[in-house]
Amino acid sequence: MAKPKSKYKVPVLDGKISIPKIVPGASSYEHMIEAQKEDMEALGFPAKLQDGWKDKALGVFKQILDHNKAVRDYMDICVRCGACTDKCQFFLGTSDPNNMPVQRQELMRKVYRYYFTPSGFFKSLSNSQELTEEVLKEWYTYFWQCSECRRCSLYCPYGIDTAEITMAARQIMDSIGLGQKYTTEVIHKVFVTGNNIGIPPAALRNTLDDLEEEIEEEGGKGVKIPMDVEGAEVLLVPPSADFFAMPHMESLKGYAKVFHKAGISYTVSSYASEAGNFGKFIGSYQNTKEINKRIWDEARRLKVKRVIIGECGHAWRAAYMYSNTMNGPFDFLDSKYKQPTHICEFTLGLVKDGVIKLDPTANDDKIVTFHDSCNVARGSRIGDVVGGQFTIPRELIKAAANKFVELREGTTKESTFCCGAGGGLLTEEVMNVRLAGSMPRMQTVKEAVDNHGVNFYALICAICKTQFSKVFPLYGLDAEMVGGIHQLVSNAIIM
Amino acid sequence: MEPLTVTTYIYLLITYSVGLVFAIGVILRIYQYATTPQPIKIMLTPAPLTKSGAFARVLGEVFFFKSLFKSNKPTWVFGYLFHISFFLLIAMHFARHFVYTNPLPSWYNYFVLAGIVCGIIMVLSLFLLLMRRVVVERVKFISLFQDYLILILLMLIGIAGLSLNFVLTPSALTVVDKQLDPYINGLLTFQFTNIPSNPLFLMHYTLVMLLILYIPFSKVMHFVGIFFSPTRNMADNPIEERYYRPNAKDLSI
Repeated sequence: MAKPKSKYKVPVLDGKISIPKIVPGASSYEHMIEAQKEDMEALGFPAKLQDGWKDKALGVFKQILDHNKAVRDYMDICVRCGACTDKCQFFLGTSDPNNMPVQRQELMRKVYRYYFTPSGFFKSLSNSQELTEEVLKEWYTYFWQCSECRRCSLYCPYGIDTAEITMAARQIMDSIGLGQKYTTEVIHKVFVTGNNIGIPPAALRNTLDDLEEEIEEEGGKGVKIPMDVEGAEVLLVPPSADFFAMPHMESLKGYAKVFHKAGISYTVSSYASEAGNFGKFIGSYQNTKEINKRIWDEARRLKVKRVIIGECGHAWRAAYMYSNTMNGPFDFLDSKYKQPTHICEFTLGLVKDGVIKLDPTANDDKIVTFHDSCNVARGSRIGDVVGGQFTIPRELIKAAANKFVELREGTTKESTFCCGAGGGLLTEEVMNVRLAGSMPRMQTVKEAVDNHGVNFYALICAICKTQFSKVFPLYGLDAEMVGGIHQLVSNAIIM
Repeated sequence: MEPLTVTTYIYLLITYSVGLVFAIGVILRIYQYATTPQPIKIMLTPAPLTKSGAFARVLGEVFFFKSLFKSNKPTWVFGYLFHISFFLLIAMHFARHFVYTNPLPSWYNYFVLAGIVCGIIMVLSLFLLLMRRVVVERVKFISLFQDYLILILLMLIGIAGLSLNFVLTPSALTVVDKQLDPYINGLLTFQFTNIPSNPLFLMHYTLVMLLILYIPFSKVMHFVGIFFSPTRNMADNPIEERYYRPNAKDLSI
């Protein structure tokens, strides 16, 4: 029987991450669905492209240049050395030269040259270009094929951060009414319901009840997942996927068991039921701030002592890196604790202090590997020491499971490849781009499976979990392999 | 004192104009980079926890091209050789002012030899960097006119400079050397004397003027921009110390 043809272009897994020959326009037809009117308006953007968009776009461009040092600096100083050209998973996967970081930046830089530098005078020589509808189309295509993972920035001699340029481009496009459906829809949902998925409070409570039952059936007697409880010690803010999606929910069970065994009172919130922050993906300071503010408002209202963030990559970056800047210091919380705390640091601390006990033999059926998520690895820190974002999750895995292997050297820690669907790409219409972007990482996963028999792929990011659960079966791997670190903790914790 | 030639008048005008454009251009750029606020912390982690640590990280990039070393060894080797030799040559051109005394120091020939060696290394590494842009498919694809322009301009400067040592007779070179010192002094003290009239020297000098004029408008500004790169120069302490730039908040998008 012939194998049924996948409707997607699935890369071949041969274990090699090779630099492809350039194929101009290879992924030029992969587009995002444009944003809906009501979502755009809810975010403070025009509903669609209107007359005079060009002047508006250039005005916003100028505003960004005047108010964003990174963009200002990075527009000028690229020397096109090419160090980044083979570092982006989307170029490695698609072969499209516009997915080479420098070339992606150049899409914006050529417009910058035309309007904001004297070299715009020598148009054809200096590669400067007017902002036309054609250019805008290119922007919309390729600035939505970047997951803002910042792998290129790591390798750039000047640290030029394509994510910042992608965000600026998305800002400009949003401000003239050219938005992307997925991210704007998600942000709108947060403003209405408090989370990305759009779960209203009653439904959330129902789900939590079901989860409590499940935990009870699995032998976790009396484990509760409280919601909106005033005066609890801890406000736990997981990504909303942890409430509804698999394998994310397994990690939520893990958090609940940890709090239960440690005897620390906690609560989730129906108002701040989302750790994720898609405002960051579209580069919108205002929207990022508003989403982030919900967490701190809720921490105040519920009079908790500390805030703990669940397993989510960009959420942790937003909470750790942005919130103090955007919404002020956490001085109303207990200064004994680090605010916010990453759930892995919290759990590992309890294990080390002997407050909870893990039995790693409970995971003896698993050979575990760990994927560093880009926003944790390159965009934040966990714990007190440099590189804690690498050591703490690994220590926690090793405390919960006996068999652990690393992925291929050079693709872990700060050099990690993106899963391929961060930065607002986690949507069905660009499945081919997502698959192409996941290719380099999947090569190393396949290698770990073949050489070491790895059967559990530990993650601390909701987007990574969703993306890998989706692409693993397409590559012929078992989606059940994908899971969170707290899923391991959940298995191993001695109740 | 002999009267100033027309050539000297022209070159004096060029030199001061170019110097002015360079100084104003670079200062404006520095001002722009320094005063544009960075809205949020975006250092690439793992990053140093202190400001001084972050500055050391920037110096690591400036002096050792650490990130480039991580990403591409051949580019690092060619790029590093070029930058080192170019920097040494600039330094030696300034030092020459103190070295070229009467009588000449006993080691003057070694000084000249070091300059020649640096010049050869510079031209060769530039050639390799140029070849890279022609041969490597990806790099060829991203290369723009201005990328070739700067490499070729620098190569021509190097070749013209070297040719003074290789093409001129020792006595012709001495004539240039003898005239150069008072001319440069004159630029600083406004006691003008004639510029050396040797055509090879003038070609070298003119090309250098072109380079200096071009710098504020070109990617050469990376030598300033690297110090302002937020992914490298920020400390990883967003919780310990609140980072807040009110004027960045004006960007209310």
